Amino acid sequence: MSLALQIVVTGLAAGGVYGVVAIGYTLIYRLTGVVHFALGDFIALAVFATLLVAAGTGPVTQTSVGGARFVLALAIGLAVCFAAGELTYLLAIKPYLDRGSTIGWVAVTVAIAFAIRAVLSAVFKRPSYVFPDPLPFRDIGKGGVVSIAGASIQVRAFFVIALAVALAALATWTLEHTRSGRGLQAIASDLEGAQVVGIPVTRLVAGAFGVAGGLAGLVAIAAAPSAPFDVDSGTLLGVKGLVAAVIVGFGSPWRAFAAGLTLGVAEATIASASISGVELGPAYRDVLPIAVALLVVALRRRPALELE
Amino acid sequence: MRSAALTRTGTAIAAAARDARRAWGWPAHAAAAGVVLALLAPLFLDSIDVQSLASWLYLALAATGLGFAVGLAGMPSLGQGAFMAIGAFTAALLRTKAGAGPFEAALSGLVVATLAGLVLGVAFVRLGRVLFAVATWLLAWLVALTLAAFPAISGGAQGLVISRGSLGETAHYELALVLVVISSLALFAIARGAPGRALSALRERRAAALALGVRATRLRLGAFVGSAGIGGLAGALSVQLAGIADPAGYGPFLSFKLFAAVLLGGMTSAIGGIAGLGVISGITHLSHWIGALEHLSTTRFDPMLAALLLLAVLGLGGQGLVPFLRRRSWRVGRPAAPAASASRPAPAAGAVLGAHGISKSFGGLVALADLSLEAGPGTILALIGPNGSGKTTALRTFSGTLVPDSGRIELDREAITEEPLEGRVRRGIVRTLQRTAVFEGMTALENVLVGADLRRRHAGAVRTVLATPKSRAEDERARAGAHGLLEVVGLGAAAETPAAELSSSEQRLVMLASALAGSPRVLLLDEISAGGSAEDVGRISRVLDELRRSGLSIVLVEHNLRLVRAVASSVIVLDHGRVIASGSPDAIARLPRVREAYLGTHRL
Repeated sequence: MSLALQIVVTGLAAGGVYGVVAIGYTLIYRLTGVVHFALGDFIALAVFATLLVAAGTGPVTQTSVGGARFVLALAIGLAVCFAAGELTYLLAIKPYLDRGSTIGWVAVTVAIAFAIRAVLSAVFKRPSYVFPDPLPFRDIGKGGVVSIAGASIQVRAFFVIALAVALAALATWTLEHTRSGRGLQAIASDLEGAQVVGIPVTRLVAGAFGVAGGLAGLVAIAAAPSAPFDVDSGTLLGVKGLVAAVIVGFGSPWRAFAAGLTLGVAEATIASASISGVELGPAYRDVLPIAVALLVVALRRRPALELE
Repeated sequence: MRSAALTRTGTAIAAAARDARRAWGWPAHAAAAGVVLALLAPLFLDSIDVQSLASWLYLALAATGLGFAVGLAGMPSLGQGAFMAIGAFTAALLRTKAGAGPFEAALSGLVVATLAGLVLGVAFVRLGRVLFAVATWLLAWLVALTLAAFPAISGGAQGLVISRGSLGETAHYELALVLVVISSLALFAIARGAPGRALSALRERRAAALALGVRATRLRLGAFVGSAGIGGLAGALSVQLAGIADPAGYGPFLSFKLFAAVLLGGMTSAIGGIAGLGVISGITHLSHWIGALEHLSTTRFDPMLAALLLLAVLGLGGQGLVPFLRRRSWRVGRPAAPAASASRPAPAAGAVLGAHGISKSFGGLVALADLSLEAGPGTILALIGPNGSGKTTALRTFSGTLVPDSGRIELDREAITEEPLEGRVRRGIVRTLQRTAVFEGMTALENVLVGADLRRRHAGAVRTVLATPKSRAEDERARAGAHGLLEVVGLGAAAETPAAELSSSEQRLVMLASALAGSPRVLLLDEISAGGSAEDVGRISRVLDELRRSGLSIVLVEHNLRLVRAVASSVIVLDHGRVIASGSPDAIARLPRVREAYLGTHRL
């Protein structure tokens, strides 16, 4: 019981991050048909830009950063991530979309992913970083860990879950109740129609690229202090988010979010599960979900071949 | 008997030699000289250099393999590194755990990677390009994470240490060089042969290629499996050369590097992957050298350099290095095509196409209601009616791109209602598309050949590579036939003109010739005269008349009443999916409703 509770809460916390990343993929895919292969590295960009302003590239302890400086760092980190997302769309992806060259934008997004990773690993040379924690979770319970029904759970996990749900809700609410959001929906359902009625397509889509990265970056920053973070962590988050988005076929944002949460819990379960006495263990944690995603892609019933 | 066969073989060999001489321009001389020099290189280099060159060549082999999937089939594969890894660890495990020899291990790597490619390919090649890229990207991660997570397979952080065995680095080098040359020659031959033509038709206009009966799934699967197998072989050999299988070397970056190499070098070129890899390695070495001067380690910048190079080339709108150089300096035209002997292939006998009570609705919209008709050999049946009356829908149910909700379609009294497009084309039902749909990157002749290749029996990838006498003879017949068909539609002089440079009605005639090249028995024509001048319409009507007299069954969807009256044997008028009149062209033309629809209500 206590183990199950621990698995679910830890899983949901990890899954909340995956879910927000998956929303980013889904949003961009539905708007443009693009799968943003660099999204995970934009997350890393947001996290490390925040870290750079908050604490520099040196060693950090969790308590060493003050509130005001962290807020500034967070603002800059998210702004960098947002701007990078917008510019990527405008300068690197849109030209290929306009030409109808899928291979072109696939190559460009993957190239940008590796370029970001290379720059980050050149600046942040340590194998991994502790992320500063401006919120005083460590003052609650025993060093930030509370015991509920026998399960030891990081207080931060609840915060991450709440933030992820809030961001997912915010994203959906924005899509449905704001002018820009309705514009985006119009673009997703009928690009030419949207252009004809005067919706500023390029500006809105560029904004969506920025927001997709910014939201994912924000929730990743919130979760970052709970474990060491390195340059590859962002890329891996990107892969997890992609797995979640692929499993639900780039469906609606809520479905992508739910898939992310499920993926998180599934991973936590796999990591500590044993099937008829055989320990699955952490080795299977990363591998099984990707295999499942590939199976889903392979087996999904597709609409009749596009022939005309 | 025997001497006749010998003579035939002799003639075939002589012809092959003649062709080879014709194609043997100075670039081929230069390439051959380069290969010979490269083969001799180990005599002048020390073993460390030979080893690193050999290891580079294996990477080039994997990149050439990837050219099959990316260049030939246009599938953005981000998973070539995964197949290298599969080959490498198969070989490494067999060498270390099962005591296999180097060649057994290499062969097993090839086989396992090919099988993996086959299984994954069956699932992946049906996907669109975007999902294909996603699937191969996830595959790259799956393999990398599997290797990281299971030390039992990968040997953990230390990797698997393989004893050198009987193959020295010089042997590896020569083997790698020979494999690279063979695989790029094969890629070159396939790209220029029938499979390459079909794949590039598919890349350009999928719908039009499918309508001509191109076997998309099979061709793309073949390209993908080939690329996986070559990648696996490269991995299995390079891992033995290195003497260690290090799981960290087979991450997604390897896949990206190979993909970037193919695009950098030019995906349309058989040596694009090699050239691109050369550029990446050259720049990387340069940066390491500069870094060493400053006592910096620049290894961490390698991905950056590859990425930036790729971004630069793509940003400049480049087709890649090799096509760029070819345009700039080489300027060697293609070897002149064999003298254009034109022969009109004997037309196939027409067949009876019958439709019985066909209905089709899209949601609440009735597109076809209870349509019955019959088109027989030597006749032209015209379907006319206003826009949205169901004419094209009817053609689509005949050609197999649409399954009717109810009713039966028969060919020579045999039900084919459920038969998919590909099968119907093989049975002889061929349709031209409403929009102009030529393959603009090809010449008029090549366009027609795409249709002709469908009926060829000796044009598979292997036969194309080996250029077997049968395959070559067949190729010559196909070319002559295609020439003949271009003459039939009046475009004999335009055979070598790029299709993009033809006028739109000439493009429609090319499309018609491509359809005819598959020796159809029933020809479905969708607005073949649209947008043509009176002269064009006259030309089309002469062509159709001749085809009818040759015994073909033709169903014609047309807006141009003049053409219908000139060629049709009988006419069916559709409105809102229903037949509102049928009869001879003249009788139909006199009907008030038709006059109203086509000529307006004014009396002439």
